[in-house]
Amino acid sequence: MFGKKRQNQPAERVGVEAGEPTENLTVIGRKVKTCPVTVIVPAYNEADCIADTVNSLLEQSLMPEAIIVIDDGSTDKTAEICRSLGVMVITPPENTGSKAGAQNYALSHIKTEYTLALDADTTLQEDALEVLYNAMGSPDLVAACGFVIPQKVSTLWERGRYVEYLMAFTFYKEIQEYYEKPLISSGCFSLFRTEYLQQIKGWSLRTMAEDMDLTWTAYQLGKKVRFIPSAICYPIEPHNFHFMRKQLTRWAHGFIQNVRLHRKGLLQVPFLRSIVTVMCWDASIASIFYLTALPILAVTVSPLFLLGYIIDLPMVLVPTLVKAYSRGETWKALTSIPAFLVLRVVNSAIFLEALFKELVLKKTLTTYEKGH
Amino acid sequence: MNIGLPGAGIGGLYYLTCTAIMPFKELFLTLTNPDHTFRYRLVATQLSIAAGIVFGLLLIYQLVTSVFGLGLTVADPVGEGSALFYALLPVVVSLGLLILILLLVELAAFLSKKPK
Repeated sequence: MFGKKRQNQPAERVGVEAGEPTENLTVIGRKVKTCPVTVIVPAYNEADCIADTVNSLLEQSLMPEAIIVIDDGSTDKTAEICRSLGVMVITPPENTGSKAGAQNYALSHIKTEYTLALDADTTLQEDALEVLYNAMGSPDLVAACGFVIPQKVSTLWERGRYVEYLMAFTFYKEIQEYYEKPLISSGCFSLFRTEYLQQIKGWSLRTMAEDMDLTWTAYQLGKKVRFIPSAICYPIEPHNFHFMRKQLTRWAHGFIQNVRLHRKGLLQVPFLRSIVTVMCWDASIASIFYLTALPILAVTVSPLFLLGYIIDLPMVLVPTLVKAYSRGETWKALTSIPAFLVLRVVNSAIFLEALFKELVLKKTLTTYEKGH
Repeated sequence: MNIGLPGAGIGGLYYLTCTAIMPFKELFLTLTNPDHTFRYRLVATQLSIAAGIVFGLLLIYQLVTSVFGLGLTVADPVGEGSALFYALLPVVVSLGLLILILLLVELAAFLSKKPK
């Protein structure tokens, strides 16, 4: 696997390959090559899942030079578990209050050319780091992210998220990548050029979606971001409504905050400005229509207006099943479709609530709450 | 991160349009840049998905008309026999809206570049 280029890589965009890994390192009895990457893993009370995350890093086909877990004031055994697995643990003087805060605390400890930001609940496919690292070619490419698939697919909310990710990463994000403007370099798993992170002074605390902020800032600075679908990560998604609501609320507020913050700059970025505008429309006006106008029209004019709820089903089904089939998960995907429809309604309702709070009540969300 | 209504609204239509443009863009790049290699696999995959979506939309329409036993009457748009009207209404409205919104954002981008 080592040194193998990703197939179908557009030749004109690969540019100069990232530096060839040369160092050898012995990890759990096996000799592996390393690359100039430091992995930073912000963690707050992640004792249940941090071992899986660290172990997946230790099993990478191409090892990072350093793995740093930022224990952000955990009250459980997160730090002990990490130390027992042999990775560096650093602890801020007090809880930083957000994932971005913990990541920024680690920034001064990074001495490598690249930084991999990884969530504490996210495991990686064995070659995920190698694939992302090999994609980091030209100097103006500052970030790369991979395909996200939920680690656990059991509850209604996990199933809804599973379909959402299969659909979005198979169809939407591939197109965004083709037009060289992935909407976000996902916060759960992204590789960055460390110099860029230092240039923009790390992850910003000004919005609730620091990954979106960082990505859009890159585009406005004339930098590039890539989506590499063959680099796969597996985060744990919210398993119940309580946590899903927290996560969706944070995402909705984060999106609105970023649109307000970057609105002038976004207009200068072709394609991105179109995606964001279309998203704004769908999330606000289409949500109102979907949640209120359709049922009212169905009752007052004709029940046939209910067709509006199923007319777009192929938009979800086709990309989802294409990806699910290639993974041998067709049945799992099919049985998860109803859960996605529930999640979508909840998502749109939460977005409208966030929009009302941010724009009408002027209540900006500033408290970061974990989504699981 | 997907906010609002992923899969619904004009977003889906927007991505379908972007997919339809892909082969032409690839052809243009291949003809104008000698170093460019036509990305057959990527374009073919996305076009297949887009074709599957369009086929699925037509299939749903067929299913709905056959289940409800409705004809293709468009003369009486609020009557019970107007399945085609109701099935196509969201698509036609969405397409019009999409074009309008994209034109507006391009206009805003143009105006924001103009010196004061």
